[in-house]
Amino acid sequence: MSTLETLQDILIGEFDLERGQVTADAELAALGVDSLDLLELMFKIEDRYKLAIRDDVPSTLATVNDLVAYIDGLLVARGAARGSDGADLHAGT
Amino acid sequence: MSVRRVAVTGLGVVAPLGACVDELFRNLEAGRSGIARLASPVFDGLRSPIGASATFDGTAHFTATRIRMLDRVSQMALVAAAQAIADAGLDFAAECKERCGVSVGTGMGGAGTNDEGYHTIYAERSARVKPYTVLASMTNAAASWIGIDYGISGPNLTYSTACSSSAVALGEAARRIRSGDLDVMVAGGAEAPLTFGVLRAWEAMRTIATQDATDPAASCRPFAQTRTGLVLGEGAAFVTLEEWNHATARGAHIRAELTGYGLTTDSAHITRPTVAGQAGAMRAALASAGLCRDDVDYVNAHGTATLQNDSVETAALKEVFGERAYRIPVSSTKSMHGHLLGAAGALEFVIAVASLERGVVPPTMHLDSADPACDLDYVADRARTGMQLRAVMSNSFAFGGTNAVLIAQRCGQ
Repeated sequence: MSTLETLQDILIGEFDLERGQVTADAELAALGVDSLDLLELMFKIEDRYKLAIRDDVPSTLATVNDLVAYIDGLLVARGAARGSDGADLHAGT
Repeated sequence: MSVRRVAVTGLGVVAPLGACVDELFRNLEAGRSGIARLASPVFDGLRSPIGASATFDGTAHFTATRIRMLDRVSQMALVAAAQAIADAGLDFAAECKERCGVSVGTGMGGAGTNDEGYHTIYAERSARVKPYTVLASMTNAAASWIGIDYGISGPNLTYSTACSSSAVALGEAARRIRSGDLDVMVAGGAEAPLTFGVLRAWEAMRTIATQDATDPAASCRPFAQTRTGLVLGEGAAFVTLEEWNHATARGAHIRAELTGYGLTTDSAHITRPTVAGQAGAMRAALASAGLCRDDVDYVNAHGTATLQNDSVETAALKEVFGERAYRIPVSSTKSMHGHLLGAAGALEFVIAVASLERGVVPPTMHLDSADPACDLDYVADRARTGMQLRAVMSNSFAFGGTNAVLIAQRCGQ
């Protein structure tokens, strides 16, 4: 399942949304996801991907696609960390 | 300048024994108890796992997006306030919103949210505290959401004086209307204390009733020789208060007039009540209503079923009403709906207004053996119907010593 599909499932479940609303270019604010909701959403994303997000979520995330790119970036960073020393530096929440 | 009068035009409740005023009052009149053993295993381990739960499911009223911002206390407050506003037929779009306000009493605010947050931090040893924790638990959350939902832009106030919080909220709201500052107030109280942490803390004070061995529903016994303490309850109760001419001009049905409000402080002990403080608040309420002691036909007592309160309140009633104290029906409906702490004053004022309208005095239940120090007419076990009630008094006394007394009168009296 792609990151977009996973995120769509989470958003639909948490925010009473229809799949058709959660398009890649949909504005998060228009979906009813404000800055505090986004922080809570990160807990779900941490659980889904076994990530521990240490840094503040960038305030520039405006669309579903921005969020997908942010998550993909975290996954790439985790992969790089694993590749470098064999340990998952951010896992284990 | 003529005296501005305060009309009670709308009532709303979310409470043990009722999701609306009619249902609640029918159950009180029938002497039913909303107190029960708390079913969830979460409460196992408490010495006395009893409480009065409201039959209330927030998901039936709010979307998933909204509900994560709302503690149970705000959910119940919003629903009870909406009932009162609908009952009054108020349309805030047609009002001068700066002349309208919100006044709420709560003792503990979003207690469940705090409990959950502390569980996350200390029990789970996790840093993942919900981002809405502060906004859901702050004591003024309920009042704020009511203001936001209806666009009410006058004063938005929250009073926290423990068990008299919402009696103060109603009384202070009435004062603002009387003074000419405002024309409409949505006033009430809400409390959601049925969490393990809160119950454990109350238990530690040794103020919670022992669960009755044969009938948990009969565990709260105000004024009885066998009383062992209070039982916590949850819920919300709201009224709409309007300046009299404002209400009549829009053709509102006026349910009662809020005429009396008395407020004193014991300034003695953090928990132990005083006869002087309680009597002083009752006298102040009578004075503000322009009534004498012969005019009051029913007292909805504070009547917590603690050893201290019930004998002190009885003595205070005798001090204020003299010989007449023995002839006024005095009942504690807490025997049925439990003690709603910060919501108690508003709930019991609503019950007093419903009594006034119906000519029915609800009983004090489980009073099978009167304490010799409690020798008034407590309307034991059976409601009285067909009563001609002119004025009713609702008493609320608190830890910390804030005594608040409200009086409602029949319209036109």
